[in-house]
Amino acid sequence: MNILNRWCALSILAVASLCALPPAGAQDPVKDTAKPIKPAASAPHARHQRPQLATGAAIAPDGRLWAVGLNAQSQLFVQSTPLDGALQWSEARILSTGADPIAADGESRPKIVFGPQGWAVISYTMPLAKPYTGFIRMLRSSDGGQTFSAPFTVHQDRQEITHRFESVAFDAQGVLHTLWVDKRDQPPKGSAQKYAGAAIYRNESKDGGQTFGPDTKVADHSCECCRIGLARNPQGQLQATWRHVFDSSTRDHAFASVGAPANRITRSTHDDWQINACPHHGPGLALNAATSGYHTVWFGIRKVNGQDQAAVRYARLNAQGEPLPETLRVLPDARAEHADVMADGQNVAVVWRSSEGAQTTLKAWLSTDGGQNFTLKTLGQATGYNDHPRLAQSGARMVVVWRNTQETQVHDIRF
Amino acid sequence: MTSVFKTTALAICTAALGLSALAAWAQAPHHAHHHAHPQGQAKAAAPAQRTVLPFDETSWAHALQHGPRPAAYLFTTSYCSTCPAAFEVLHKAVQQRKDKPELNAVMMDVTGPPALRHAAHFKGMTRMYAFDGFEPAIRQAVDPAWPNVTPYVVLVDAKGQTQRVIGPPTPVMLKRWLSPA
Repeated sequence: MNILNRWCALSILAVASLCALPPAGAQDPVKDTAKPIKPAASAPHARHQRPQLATGAAIAPDGRLWAVGLNAQSQLFVQSTPLDGALQWSEARILSTGADPIAADGESRPKIVFGPQGWAVISYTMPLAKPYTGFIRMLRSSDGGQTFSAPFTVHQDRQEITHRFESVAFDAQGVLHTLWVDKRDQPPKGSAQKYAGAAIYRNESKDGGQTFGPDTKVADHSCECCRIGLARNPQGQLQATWRHVFDSSTRDHAFASVGAPANRITRSTHDDWQINACPHHGPGLALNAATSGYHTVWFGIRKVNGQDQAAVRYARLNAQGEPLPETLRVLPDARAEHADVMADGQNVAVVWRSSEGAQTTLKAWLSTDGGQNFTLKTLGQATGYNDHPRLAQSGARMVVVWRNTQETQVHDIRF
Repeated sequence: MTSVFKTTALAICTAALGLSALAAWAQAPHHAHHHAHPQGQAKAAAPAQRTVLPFDETSWAHALQHGPRPAAYLFTTSYCSTCPAAFEVLHKAVQQRKDKPELNAVMMDVTGPPALRHAAHFKGMTRMYAFDGFEPAIRQAVDPAWPNVTPYVVLVDAKGQTQRVIGPPTPVMLKRWLSPA
């Protein structure tokens, strides 16, 4: 496992971001007209405005690694590089997104995925003026990412409510699926009705994002602010997992086959975490090809010997998404955050970041026997602001993309 | 120190003059603790809800040592839709009290106007802070064992003892928090 290279072009952008941090409010929605509190026009900006480092990564059908993120001016850019040999990043290409503010922090990040016929899409959440609200926006390409369309809204519902934390993927038939956290089913304010959490909604496009089917519900009562994990089953159909609110107050995880009738879910974790809170820490999912089941990682708090134990955990699921209790493991790092998982055959990689004060370490837990045994590796380190590790995979090829304010590290996973 | 003075003065003036429209990110900077809770002013100064004060790795220790008592700190984020309900629990607990314990919100992911946009969700808030620096480092300065889950609430009682909870505090915690020194 080696650091392939330093991402020079992005480093320049990142350093530039340190020198020219955008003023507070520079990324605010332009239609910010009806807020209870208006910022003073002359408000000075924070010394340490948090940089928006959250980046999406994917390997294109031709084997090139692509990344999408925001630069110091909050502009959406893409870059790509071949993965064979030394990295040779293309110049960052700024994409036109009009006046869209773009969420690029933590679990809410721009994403890029590739499909058949030269299709590629970039998605992101556009925050709206009202807190906790947003629209899922998308740019479409039909020439493998050489050109992209103007952004458009993916969902049919246009209320100023939560449509956030989208996940996108093509299935094996080339159908584009978009899933997101949605609050259209909330009872009206002041209503006596209660509705725990939010909902997961989805739609699909059979022409690479040119047209979309209706918004349909996957499940009621998801957690409000965590990413959705996606993986294909052996037949190439998409499966999803997300943090879910069971029995009105238990935050565990649900698993569902994308496209199944609404609320046909399986409980995939049993931490029994009784909490009304926002972990902002969604699960990861990867196919376990040997068993037709899945590898999953997640954060949760469970009672262990009467004490709350917060941890990122790994387990395997059967083909229906049910947990296999004997496979449950706690990651060997009490400070593990934002883990994700990839697998190919018997190879399994769990990757996470771990912060100690200002220092953050990128770690991997690697298995060559389908998750029976793991070896802990350190991939990289950073000081100060850094993104969550982002995984990209094409067959057996797996890389981790990890951006900080100084550079973007690309680590090749070797077992 | 000059900027510290300016920040403090700004907070006082904002309250005294009732300039509710003044929404300014308090620019001061490194030494956030100097204006996190100006000694002797916490009770005298009326709430300065339209100002966001920086909260860095040193702020928490200073708040515990020199800040008002009792007080509550609710750590939140721009995406935490479960946080306002937890703050409401705090607000209801102190509503009938004459001493008006401070109820502070600490934004962990946004500063300035994006943070202030959430002020309306925290009715009864005394002050709003925002993390000024690398989030995990500040979070670990508050509590090394705190996973990044919000709302995270710390209740500081009249003796300076703390109770910490993820999610809304229970009635038992609130009673203990507000019991006389």
